[in-house]
Amino acid sequence: MESPRAVFRTSEWDPANHGDQHVGQFYTIPPSQVKTVFPHGLPHRFQQQIKTFNEACVMVRKPALELIGYLKKADPAHPSVRYVLYGERGTGKSLSLCHALHHCSLQDWLILHIPDAHLWVKNCKELMPSSYHRARFDQPIESSVWLKNFRVTNERFLKQIKTSQKYVWSKREFTDEGRPLGEIVDQGVARVKNASDAVGVVLKELKAQARPGSYRLVVGVDGVNALWGQTTLRKEDRSLIDPSELTLVHNLRKMMKNDWCGGAVIATVTQTGSVFTPSSAYLPQELLGKEGFDALDPFLPVSVPAYSEKEFESCYQYYRDRRWIQHHRGHTEEGKKELLFLSSSNPAALERICAFL
Amino acid sequence: VRWTRYNPYYLEPEPAKEVYRIPATELTDEQKAAQELKAVRPIKAAPPGLTSSVFSDPTVSKFVNMMMQDGNKVLAKSIITKTFESMKRKQVEKYHKAPATEKEVIECNPYTIFHQALENCKPIIGLISIQKGGKYYQVPTPLTDSRRRFLAMKWLITECRDNKHRRTHMYEKLSQELLAAFINEGNVIKRKHDLHKMAEANRAFAHYRWW
Repeated sequence: MESPRAVFRTSEWDPANHGDQHVGQFYTIPPSQVKTVFPHGLPHRFQQQIKTFNEACVMVRKPALELIGYLKKADPAHPSVRYVLYGERGTGKSLSLCHALHHCSLQDWLILHIPDAHLWVKNCKELMPSSYHRARFDQPIESSVWLKNFRVTNERFLKQIKTSQKYVWSKREFTDEGRPLGEIVDQGVARVKNASDAVGVVLKELKAQARPGSYRLVVGVDGVNALWGQTTLRKEDRSLIDPSELTLVHNLRKMMKNDWCGGAVIATVTQTGSVFTPSSAYLPQELLGKEGFDALDPFLPVSVPAYSEKEFESCYQYYRDRRWIQHHRGHTEEGKKELLFLSSSNPAALERICAFL
Repeated sequence: VRWTRYNPYYLEPEPAKEVYRIPATELTDEQKAAQELKAVRPIKAAPPGLTSSVFSDPTVSKFVNMMMQDGNKVLAKSIITKTFESMKRKQVEKYHKAPATEKEVIECNPYTIFHQALENCKPIIGLISIQKGGKYYQVPTPLTDSRRRFLAMKWLITECRDNKHRRTHMYEKLSQELLAAFINEGNVIKRKHDLHKMAEANRAFAHYRWW
């Protein structure tokens, strides 16, 4: 039966062609693109859903369409605009970010995606003092993992972009001027000790060479409030480490400034993975603090609300189509009203409730 | 808080929403009498597991209560919900990857799998220890429905707690055991069959039972 399917699905797989008529409908990302564009980008529950349903379907929603509209109209000659997605817990900020990044990848931009900045400021198993700067600390595991995933996403750019100066890694290892950026990434992956410095070099090169004539760069950071908050990591004398003392955070903060042209910075502020923040805080001012707000100011805030009635209906129909709502009472009107009440139209809550029904 | 012992004139609480939606004109005589009684008599406190939700299931609530340790119902309920979720994920994944001919056969509903697995684990006949002439004999005896349900649930829980690898989560162990019991395989079914064989072997002592 084709007509019920038409309500909640759309065959338009290119986010550039999504318009207001597609709001509330699900579009499928082809499996090949899922592997290249999002090797580490998608939230964990969404990855489980992709594995279960055998397809990656994302709902088209207003915040993501707004973002994509701004990205299309932005002038590459002007300094990069910073967009901040904010909203209550579980309203779909990370997936809106992934929708926008999918659009950017199809428009052939260079994607720099940090899936969760909170993972860099907590629970680090190996913390080494940095070889480049005496006061800073390195995180070899996180850096090498991120470099591997970065290489998967941007293979062809790594061969095109050349380094602009010589980098010396140790007594016998160095990278000449004019070598492709892929070599820096390989060096970081192979020599885990220098991985954090390799990440810093990559970020510096990409920012310096992102001019209006060459490639366009989009930086997508999930949980940007981690860069200006507090860490749970301690030094050997049991004193807390400030985020500015971590190499990764220090280099990423430099990317967040709007002193470069030809790209955009899309960030999410989230309480979900953050440390020492109250669970009721969701506005950018509360989560970023004074330091972070001043660093990101001026930015374009994009609010991500919970599901509207049409979006809830569409999500419910999608779950029924994929055989996810199995309880016989879930197919009745009473069951649907109860699902609406229990989840209060929150996407994450609805997903968790339908998981066991 | 629900007391353990109530005076007999206390009435039970009514959670079902349909009862309260009937307009006053369409009530039968018994329902009118019951409503008038509710105006005069006190009502017992509702137990914590009682909901007016359409998704509530008494068998699942009983299983949650049996899994609960130290009164931690939140943890027991979360284990059961994760079990249902993992069972459903495995089955739905199989469903979407199977060709169209085999799709009808795969059962995806975790509640039907749970009920069917419990049915398959219930023993038909049990053994009772009776003393005759100084010795104790294991005598086969019929079991009530509640006893059979209790034994099936108890075997499932103890089997998952004791006989599995210690590093797997309880919900994983339970989901594996329930899916095996659904197709009549696994250690709990084996234990049920062993009980039946023992009862068959001891059928000579059946007349030691005098009730």
